[in-house]
This record gives sequence, C-alpha cells and structure tokens, in this order.
Amino acid sequence: MPPIKIYKQDYIASPAGRVWKAFSHNPFALIGLWGVGFLLVLTLLAPFIAPYSVNEQNQQILLLPPSWDPLGHVEYFLGTDDLGRDIFSRILHGVQLTFGMSLIIVTCALFFGFIIGAISGMMRGLKSSILGHLLDGLLSIPSLLMAILVVAVIGPGLSNVFWAVGIAMVPQFIRTIHQAVHEELQKEYVTAAKLDGANDLQIFWYVIMPNIWEALIIQVTMAISAAILDIAALGFLNLGAQAPSPEWGAMIAQGLDNLLLAPWTVTIPGVAILFSVLAVNLVGDGLRSAIAPIRN
Amino acid sequence: MWRYFFRRVSLFLATTLIMMAVLFYTTHLFPVDEHYALSGVQQPTAEQIEQINNDFNLESNRFSQFLAYVQQRLSGNMGVSNNSQQQVYEELKTVLPASFELSLFSGFIALIFGVPIGVIAALSKNKLVQRSILGLTLTGYSIPVFWLGLSLSLWFGVNLGWLPISGQINLLYQIEPVSGFMLIDTLLSNSTYSQQAFIDALMHLILPAITLAVLPFTLIVRITRQAMLQVMNQTYIRAAEARGLHTLKIIIRHALPNAMIPVLKSIGIMLGSFASYGIVVEVIFSWPGVGSWLVSGIYQRDYTVIQAGILSVSLLIIFLSILIEFVHTAINPMSKKELYATY
Repeated sequence: MPPIKIYKQDYIASPAGRVWKAFSHNPFALIGLWGVGFLLVLTLLAPFIAPYSVNEQNQQILLLPPSWDPLGHVEYFLGTDDLGRDIFSRILHGVQLTFGMSLIIVTCALFFGFIIGAISGMMRGLKSSILGHLLDGLLSIPSLLMAILVVAVIGPGLSNVFWAVGIAMVPQFIRTIHQAVHEELQKEYVTAAKLDGANDLQIFWYVIMPNIWEALIIQVTMAISAAILDIAALGFLNLGAQAPSPEWGAMIAQGLDNLLLAPWTVTIPGVAILFSVLAVNLVGDGLRSAIAPIRN
Repeated sequence: MWRYFFRRVSLFLATTLIMMAVLFYTTHLFPVDEHYALSGVQQPTAEQIEQINNDFNLESNRFSQFLAYVQQRLSGNMGVSNNSQQQVYEELKTVLPASFELSLFSGFIALIFGVPIGVIAALSKNKLVQRSILGLTLTGYSIPVFWLGLSLSLWFGVNLGWLPISGQINLLYQIEPVSGFMLIDTLLSNSTYSQQAFIDALMHLILPAITLAVLPFTLIVRITRQAMLQVMNQTYIRAAEARGLHTLKIIIRHALPNAMIPVLKSIGIMLGSFASYGIVVEVIFSWPGVGSWLVSGIYQRDYTVIQAGILSVSLLIIFLSILIEFVHTAINPMSKKELYATY
C-alpha cells in the first residue's frame, strides 16, 4: 500500500538515495554495474556453467580457432589452446582466480587498513604521524617489487600473490582512511559533538563514519581494478599463478609461445581482463561523479 | 618554508630507514645461507666469510647488523651477481640509465599529449568529444599493460613491420656508453654511422615508450580536465574574460598554471604504479633496464640483484615522491597558507 499523502510535502531522498539516483542516470555506470554483477554471478557459478573441466585436453583439436572463424567449431566456443584445452571453460574458471581473488585481497586489505587508518586518523601529533607514515615505507615499494620480494622468500604461486598484492594494498587504505578521518576531524560539527560530551569512539562511529563512506567506497573500487591488473601481471610474469592454472594473466603467458600462430590464445584472456577492469572502473567512475555534487 | 623542508627531509630519512629495515628483514628470510644472500658468493672461502662477517657485523646483535647493512648498501657494496659474477653496483649503473631513458621519454609523451587533450575535454561544449575522450581514457586506464604491449608489437612490429620490438638499439651499431642514455650516446659518438644509430635507437624507443605512456597519459588527461573545469569557474577567469583577453591567452596565462598543480600532485602519487608498469614493459620489449634485470634476477634467484634492484627503485620512488610533494607545496600559495595557518 503506498503511503497516504495528507500533507503537501516534498519527498526528500536520503543521501544514499540521491547517490543512487545520480548513479542510475549515467548509462555507462549502469553498464559497469551490470558487468560487475555478471562477473560476481560467474565467480559463484563458473564451475557449473563451464562445458569442460579446466585441464581437459583434446589431442585431436589443438589450436582450434574461435567459433566465428570458418575453421572454428561451436563446441569449442572460443577455440582451444596448444594443449587442446577449451579456452571458454578456462576463462570461466579464471573468473574465480582473477576476479574472485581480487575481491578477497581487497576485503582483507580493507579490514586491516581500516583499523590502522582509523586509529591513526583519530590520534593527533607524533603518534598519528608515526602510525600514518609507518607504512609509507611499504607504500613506496610498488606492488610488483613487493611481489618479487615475496617470491624470493617463499617461491612463486597463487597464494603468494595474495600476500604480495595484499601487503602492497594495505598502506593505500591506511592513507585514504587516515586522510578522510583527519579531514573530517577538523570540521565544526565534530567539535559540536565533542562539546556535547561524546567520547572518541562515539565521535568516530556516529559522527565521522557516515561521512567517510564515500571515500572508502571509491578507494575500494580503485583497489579492485588495481588488484585485478596486478594479479594478471604477476601471472603473466610467471611469478604468480603457475602454468596449468587458468588465471587470465597466466593464460596469456601460456599462449605467448603461439602468439603468431594462434593470436586468440592471447587476445581472449586479454579481453577478459580488459572487460572486468573496465566494468569495475565504470562503476567507480559513476560513483565518483554521483557523489561529487552531493559532497560539495 | 624551512620548517616544512626539514620535516620532508626527516620523512624521507625515516621512510628510507623503514624500507631498508624491510629489505634487511627479508634478506634473512631468503631460503639460502646468510653469507650468500648478503654477498652473492655461493661458496665463500674462509677469508671471504671472514670479510663478510666483518662487513656486515654478523657476529654482533641484530641492530648493529642492520646499521652495517645500511652502511654497506648505501656505500655501494651490493655484492656480486651470482649469475654474471659481476659487481652488482656496476651492473646497476648500466641498467638504471636505460630505464630512465624509457620512463622520461614516455612521461614526456604523456605530458605533451595529455595536457592539451585534457584542456580540450574540459573546454569542449560538444558532448560527443567529451564522452569519447573520457571513454578513451577509461579504456586506456583499464587495459592490462602486458596485453597492450603484446598487441602493439604484434601489429606494428610483426604484421606491419614498421618498428623494431626488442632491445634498445640494433646490435650492428657499436656505441660507446658515455651517459648511458642511448639517444644521447649515439649523437655523441663520433663514428660515421652516428646519425643512423640515433634514428635506430629512436625507432626502438617508440613502441615501449608509447605502451608505458598510456597509463600516465590517461591519468593526466582526466586530472587536467577536472582541474580545468574547476579553474574555469573561478572569478579571476571571468575577470580576464571581461578584460577582453583572447581565450588562448586566458588558458595559457591564467588557467593552466593553476590547473597544473593537481596534475603535479597526481604524478607523485602515480610513481609506484608507473614503476610497476615500467617493469612489465621492459620485460615485454626486452629493454635492458632495471626492470628486466630485476625480473631475470628473480627467475635465477639472484638474491643480490633482487636486493639491489628493489632498493634502488624504491629509493628513487621515495625520493621523487617527496620531492614532488615539496615542489607542490612550494609553488602552491594555497597550501603554504594552510601550512602556516594550522601549524
């Protein structure tokens, strides 16, 4: 039953509602959101959709072109690689590794970054400075170098990608949250809350927190796209996921030997990476432009 | 200003120390003997062990070991490379300029194309132009760099055969390294073919530089656009318009200097990912720089090379980002005001 309107009154949307309204008026952002939703569904359902298993080899058809090529076959929709493995199935399984892994990494990095960043942001003076800058040293090591360092210690592998990208990502979250909290702390409404007798925890949770969500969400979308690119780059350099793994970057590295003969073994995983990063970036971009006018 | 300067310098020193501490800690985690990890000599003789113990203070506690480590590394004792049996420091001196050449050139490309396109995107009233520039930059921002490099080398290097796709210069040319920058060295060399060698070096540079320039280019376009949109709404721009100045003059004299300040800041923030991208590009195009050196070092578990590469690249990034932050504050009156009003 719709609410009965007795009074002549304008309905004022909540901030989240306004963001959603601005966001959904941007067609590109919506396309991105559909793309991300699609990837999320694939992450959960990929093993059930994929027609073949990851490492199933068919020796009769090596390097079969994609199905739109006259030589292709529709049973192998995106063709096969040099071992006769179905690329379509491998791409589907790769969603879990490349996209799903990036979500896990960002969640973990967000958790630790949030705690440290919030504590250092609420503190003042030297203590805050030390905590805030403690990880600047780590921030200066690019994620790829961090990965090389991790690989040098514990050897290559997909689990090490988790550590490498995660360690490189935590300082970014700390810095974003530290800065956002610090900026809000200077504002007058925080002083007002303090004069009302709120303690630090209350100020953080009820006063500051609702105002830094936006910065946090934008940082998360940026981190997801960066994490996908990093995971794929490590796979490509053979420092991350190793050979038979269907991780997209590793698939490109495996297809590299046949680049001239069968360019689709490199092109198709590349398009998959491009698609997922683009979808995440479109959502992030749409969010940013939806939030900006409300913030100002 | 001086106070701020000293604060930045102390931040630089502190960050460097933290970074060295991380490196020192991981050096001891390497799955090899301590002496080998520190010096790169796989089977050291008794005298060499004695020497390493002395150099790195291995007999005393961890803290003085760390101090000795910092002192040795910063004074240029990086050990020998297990792979080539050369001094790592000497190798570093040959690979660093090559990386500089590539990154400077692509940074230059990104700036001279990125800033005007960003300005056009900000000033254009045409929806189509705005949309297509934004869409293009977003795509460029999302492309995996290794895939882009492979595709470019496949099209322009192999299928069309226009550009060479690997190395810094054709092996036919024998160029004496003077500055380490191949473009300058070819011009300096007094051989008869220095002109051709220069053109050859330039041709080798084009594809990797363009691949590497895509990321900074897209970021510069986006940030220039945003900053220009903000600046063009200011009252002093309207005042300049009211005085009847030419639009071009308003943009160049009044708007751009202010719009460049956030661009400078974003360049500082971008350095880390730029370095990551640089490493991948160097590997793809077999560019003899610090990135491909480092990656081949990790393939061969050449621990001294790994340490030296990470140390030098990270030090450079720390130094440059703090320098850019300092310059940003120095040339930006707004942040100066902020500095003295609150601190």
